[in-house]
Amino acid sequence: MRATSSFLTGLARVHRAPAVLAGTCALTVLIALPLSIALSGMLEAHLGNSLAAESVAAGANHQWWQEFSAQASGLGATFRPSIVGFAAVLRNWGDLLDNAPLASTIAGATVAWLVLWSFVSGGVIDRLARDRRTRSHGFFAACGVHVWRLLRLGVVALAIYAFLFGWVHGWIFDEGVGRLVRDVTVERTALLFRIAGYAVFGAMLIFFNLIFDYARIRIVVEDRRSALGAIGAAARFVRRNPGRVLTLYAINGLACLALVAAYALLNPGAPGHGLRLWGALLLGQLYIVARHYLKLAFYASETVLFQSALAHAGYTAAPPLVWPESPAAEAITNADPVATS
Amino acid sequence: MALSGASQQSPDSTAAAPSAPAAQTPGALSPGNANYRITARLDPDARTITGDETLTWRNTATRPAATLQFHLYYNAWRDGQSTWMRERARAGRASAVRQRPEDSASIDIRSLRVIRNGVAADLTARTTFIAPDDGNVHDRTVIEVPLDSPVAPGDSLDVQVGWQSRIPRTVARTGAVGDFFFIAQWFPKIGVFEDAGWNCHQFHASTEFFADFGTYDVELTVPTGWTVGATGRERARTDRGDGTTTHRYVQAAVHDFAWTTSPDYIERRDRFEHATLPPVDMRLLLQPEHAGQADRHFAATRAALKYYGEWYGAYPYGHITIVDPAWQSGAGGMEYPTLFTAGTEVLSPARTGDPEEVTVHEAGHQFWYGIVATNEFEHAWMDEGLTTFSTARVMDEAYEPNFYSERYFGGFVPWVFRDLPLDREADGNRMAGYRRAAKGDAPSTPSFRYWPGSGGAITYNKTSLWLHTLERMLGWETLQRAMSTYFTRHALTHPRPRDFFDTVNEISGRDLTWFFEQVHGGSHVFDYSLDLLRSEQGTSGYHTAVVARRLGEGVFPIDVQIVFEDGSAQRWNWDGRERWKLFETDRPVRALHAQVDPERILLLDVNTTNNSASLKPRAKAAARTWSLAWLLWLQDHLLTYGFFV
Repeated sequence: MRATSSFLTGLARVHRAPAVLAGTCALTVLIALPLSIALSGMLEAHLGNSLAAESVAAGANHQWWQEFSAQASGLGATFRPSIVGFAAVLRNWGDLLDNAPLASTIAGATVAWLVLWSFVSGGVIDRLARDRRTRSHGFFAACGVHVWRLLRLGVVALAIYAFLFGWVHGWIFDEGVGRLVRDVTVERTALLFRIAGYAVFGAMLIFFNLIFDYARIRIVVEDRRSALGAIGAAARFVRRNPGRVLTLYAINGLACLALVAAYALLNPGAPGHGLRLWGALLLGQLYIVARHYLKLAFYASETVLFQSALAHAGYTAAPPLVWPESPAAEAITNADPVATS
Repeated sequence: MALSGASQQSPDSTAAAPSAPAAQTPGALSPGNANYRITARLDPDARTITGDETLTWRNTATRPAATLQFHLYYNAWRDGQSTWMRERARAGRASAVRQRPEDSASIDIRSLRVIRNGVAADLTARTTFIAPDDGNVHDRTVIEVPLDSPVAPGDSLDVQVGWQSRIPRTVARTGAVGDFFFIAQWFPKIGVFEDAGWNCHQFHASTEFFADFGTYDVELTVPTGWTVGATGRERARTDRGDGTTTHRYVQAAVHDFAWTTSPDYIERRDRFEHATLPPVDMRLLLQPEHAGQADRHFAATRAALKYYGEWYGAYPYGHITIVDPAWQSGAGGMEYPTLFTAGTEVLSPARTGDPEEVTVHEAGHQFWYGIVATNEFEHAWMDEGLTTFSTARVMDEAYEPNFYSERYFGGFVPWVFRDLPLDREADGNRMAGYRRAAKGDAPSTPSFRYWPGSGGAITYNKTSLWLHTLERMLGWETLQRAMSTYFTRHALTHPRPRDFFDTVNEISGRDLTWFFEQVHGGSHVFDYSLDLLRSEQGTSGYHTAVVARRLGEGVFPIDVQIVFEDGSAQRWNWDGRERWKLFETDRPVRALHAQVDPERILLLDVNTTNNSASLKPRAKAAARTWSLAWLLWLQDHLLTYGFFV
């Protein structure tokens, strides 16, 4: 199957799994909301019965914001103007690519989200690979079956990414780009060097991201128990299908960029009040849902490509088998019922 | 041409064609007692300057001078033991002090001869390094030369100095990066001899400079084809036939000389014209990648010349050079006589104040520093604070509100927050920085003794805030008259804080000593708050009570106001001395809200959120709104990290 077909098929599979989309969105809210409530308490305490609350409720009040920031610590210190509208996206991507230290107050939530996502990703990929309803018991059973394997894979991924951000990032941007631009007096030239740095670092990230994506898929789809074995298998798959794999990755990446660009154009800005408040918040949440959708589409399209490439024709499972047959066993059964008789 | 120290000079007293007639020159004429003729040759490959200077110096103090003292600023970066480096390290700026050997700087005196009555004496061997501020024996930024006989008050002498400098990689706004050279504090510069003796401080990490006025006649030899910008006007240009060209710049009635050269500059010219102010030729040396921002630089310079001219007095020099420094040169945002550096980026959206604010600020320093030449070592607030205050005022007058902006991806990508307009009160006066360092130092402390990490917040921010408070207390008309009078009286001289305070007291007709003692003499923090607003129904209407509190040490007379549901208001004036005060009233209607300092006169109040209280508070709604916006950011953050799973 071609990359574009895989992408479109992946989108269709996500479309047919609205509960997964809703569930993953709920997971993100579940992690973020308690912190948001805690922050709300801080803001309310600082505003007290001040008249400043009027203007803060009606829109942005930069003076108050500065006063709040001056006394804020912990979670409150993350409440900066860059949370407003599209700046939030720039800040998040900028912080990640520039290796800015993660605020300790949200580090816990971030780790929790990553662990929970690793847990549900087994069920998500299983659901998208089967392209049929697995019901919650099937979904969570798949989560349970794969969780330790995926967490082991996560440990390997953590080591690789820690190496990339802990050492390679410094080599590229501080040693490499830093040295190259040391005597540069033209900002545009320096910007080009930095873009080149992002490209090199990004290419490394994407390379390992691809491997870990397909390792995750092979763990679930093929019921692999070994994370290291899955990584090896994923590397072989990427090596044998570089064109389609990279094209699909690029299509998914472009879809994300298109979404981000659309959000930048619509940039809701500060919440304001009345309709503008709810409009801005709704637009923001639609963007978040779309990010989840595309995240699932990433999984789904890569899963489709993998399934099509490794001759899992007719993988779509019908009639449903009783869990815990692996997706691979289920596909074999679908292809040749005699094999399991 | 070095002039005899006996004469007085106006800014245009050399052969230069003056644009501003002397009659328009504000204040007294310059004593012109430190006149330099300098020849300097730049070797851009070796990054060295070989120079010779003849200084004609006149003793303007009332006591004889038995020694001479010179600044050798470039020795601040000779090694890590200088006072500048130690202070910078103390302030936590480790990157600034981890310099490579090839980035270091130095200035070495080759010869020093004193000529009096036609007799020359070689005093090279007598020069010794001194450290009058901290006794640091490793600091080489000041030398002292004992004279054979003292220079009597009013007498003059000539000093011939030969020196060689190694140019640093740009640090403290001087040095070189690539082919960009910005050369400041680069020659042996004599200190200021006062009645109390030499005022010749070591180079400190957080303070700037102080020097006497004079005429500078400087010949700079640089590679042919390189553009040169400098203090003064270019009088001659000579191709030496060896691949170098000598540029001669002359300027009278200034107290420093800085210059720049680079093969990359593009040059633009424009002219400031005004109905009542003398015209000023503006020369802009621009980085090619900023060619599209020329008009923004000119407009900002024009705004500064216009408003400063209208408010304080005319710019007398008739010309000004704006330098757009090269990327990462670190030379931006610095003032020198008749020349200043601005600073911008390739991506610099309109209405972010960049490059306008820095341009207005540095152009404004031509007045508060260039013309009124206060001692930046000791009273940095007098130029930086007055300029910051004036900058905020000019920006407020000349430009629509700017917006808060941030830069991402290594600082290359800007984002403008159109929902966050910047205001003069807090943003222009830089309240956020002051709030962080409010107790850092008292402004009356000599600036070079400030804690280097927070000195800027005191000199720039606090001064701007208390001047703006003064503006609101006295009215702009009164403060403007006071500042204009101060400017006129002290143009081309070295006033002290007392001169400023006395002028304000005199012009306002009020004794504001109590105010100046707090904002200049101390580090008191001002914070008034409102507490306990109650409005309870009684038998004949509502009894309303409110308590105002003074949380900080600073004392300021302040208004307290209660607004009622029918729109009426009641106001009390409180001297603000007690720690708290109860205000009560009986009205037929219930109170709506109350405020302390409702007009926000006291801009030094570090916490204005607690200045008001409402009986219908909206904190919950505000907190809910913004916590939901923050939630969105956190969700996006999680999804960004979702890249890894």
